[in-house]
Amino acid sequence: MRHLRSAAILIGALVFTFAWVFPILWSVLNSFKTEQDILAYPPKLFFEPTLAAYRQVLFGAQSILPNVWSSIVISVGTTVITMILAVPAAYALARLQVPGKKSAGFYILVTQMLPPVGIIIPYFLALRNIGWMDTYHGIIIIYLSFSLPFAIWLMVSYFEDVPWEMEEAAAVDGAGRLTTLWRIIIPQVKGGIAVTVVFVFLNAWNEFLFAVVLSGNTVRPVTIAMFNFVSVEQTLWAQLAAVSVVAMLPVVILGIVAQQHIVKGLTVGAVKGGGRR
Amino acid sequence: MPEAGAFSSGEPDGLSAQNLDRLERLREKRFAGALLAPALLALLATTTFPLFFLVWISAQRKDLAMPFMDGFVGLENYRQLLGDPRFWESLGLSMIYTVSTVVLQVAIGLALALLLMKMKRGQTLFRIIAILPVVLSPAVVGMVWRSFMLTPEFGVIDYLSITAGFGSRNWLGDPTLAMISVIVIHTWQWTPFAFMVLLASLAALPEDIYEAARIDRANSWQRFTRITLPLLRPAIVMVVIMRTMVALTAFAAIYVVTAGGPGTATEILNLYAYRKSFTELSLGYGSALAVALLIVTVLISFVLFLLRRERTA
Repeated sequence: MRHLRSAAILIGALVFTFAWVFPILWSVLNSFKTEQDILAYPPKLFFEPTLAAYRQVLFGAQSILPNVWSSIVISVGTTVITMILAVPAAYALARLQVPGKKSAGFYILVTQMLPPVGIIIPYFLALRNIGWMDTYHGIIIIYLSFSLPFAIWLMVSYFEDVPWEMEEAAAVDGAGRLTTLWRIIIPQVKGGIAVTVVFVFLNAWNEFLFAVVLSGNTVRPVTIAMFNFVSVEQTLWAQLAAVSVVAMLPVVILGIVAQQHIVKGLTVGAVKGGGRR
Repeated sequence: MPEAGAFSSGEPDGLSAQNLDRLERLREKRFAGALLAPALLALLATTTFPLFFLVWISAQRKDLAMPFMDGFVGLENYRQLLGDPRFWESLGLSMIYTVSTVVLQVAIGLALALLLMKMKRGQTLFRIIAILPVVLSPAVVGMVWRSFMLTPEFGVIDYLSITAGFGSRNWLGDPTLAMISVIVIHTWQWTPFAFMVLLASLAALPEDIYEAARIDRANSWQRFTRITLPLLRPAIVMVVIMRTMVALTAFAAIYVVTAGGPGTATEILNLYAYRKSFTELSLGYGSALAVALLIVTVLISFVLFLLRRERTA
């Protein structure tokens, strides 16, 4: 009976693991196939792996390297600007006496309720008027609408964990506030900053709605460029698989690196929302 | 002597200390303001200003295809919206999509979390695997499912369906199957989220309550309904709130997989607002739809937060 039960548990776990891994694994397998192998019926689990699809996708006529660059510029740009704005703001919210602090915190939370589609319509019209469509600054600015509230809340939670004594000691030493923040407090939240950077980067890399409206020939991230391989006439299956893998690789690596913090990163806004504040 | 001296100079000293304190507080305020202002201004510019602009556009006729007809129309778009069957249908689809994906995520996520708590080995592997879907771009997930899983006579799901004797199905071409497909894809991607959050709260539950229950000979079902579930309730409610907000504004995966089709079969309100604005180029009416979505989102989250408060009080 005991054995039967643990066997059932194991099987259940395996089934679900398989269900989660399979679509990803299958894309990876397909990306190493030739067009013939990929179209084979029944689907081939064993085949001679080839890098042909990757060669095509990276160095062929429709190379996605410019798109990878596009994704990197957008994600890095968003991350840098977000962190520059979010870290000081989070420190103020976590540690300083500010009149209207609660309302500021509430405001930051409420901004997240606005559906992205409601942001992109006016933003699209405004950018069209000033000729900022298909530009990096245009897309990075709108990415702040979701990355900034998130980064502020996540950083607040890290600042709150810094012991007060650190600051008091610095104040006794006569260090100025900015010096204290920069020399004493920031080093204490280095880990938190790293985690926040990972998540902001990840969200920017994955964004789609804003990108689909604002992108053009200059700014064209990978998530948009994968449509180049799907058309009504024909789909280049192996290359599509290779592009998907290229799009997945950075975020999967980041996700696994940050796995210890992922639950915190995913829930930070909601925990703050109804709980402590 | 020194004591007397200290006493005599006590009053002016105390006053200046008070002044210093006030000055210090003023400095702190200014410092905090300087730290907060850039971020708040950026948020004002990227979220609040667009909101006002959105409401303004929703009171206009604004068709990129027919710019000569543009102009202020007041509440006309909203009047039209209330009599628009496509709006009510999309709202209904949003409700179906949201309720089914959230219920499935919580139910499966909870079941898996309970299962994993029983496992003695392999927990770490399972946790890492659970991260994979969650970190992926919904657009890429949509593309993978649409092409490699659901394409008739090519995708793995269709292959399984044929092998099992159900025959090849047009998974994304049939209205009902298409809706089921996008619900399954969303559930596939986000169940690990519910799973991870619930697992974290399960692991934090105090062990001694269960000991006591075991001594009281409560069976495992009783232990689950009387102890685990009530203790997990805050975490479950939190997951429900978060997932509801995300499901209401789900976009990328549906857009990639069906683009709201076939016809309008998977066109949830969020997609309708997008299509109206950027495919049919009626930005005025599209804005009214976006405002409607905002109102629905606020109402639902209000109800859910009330629920949360009631439970915790």
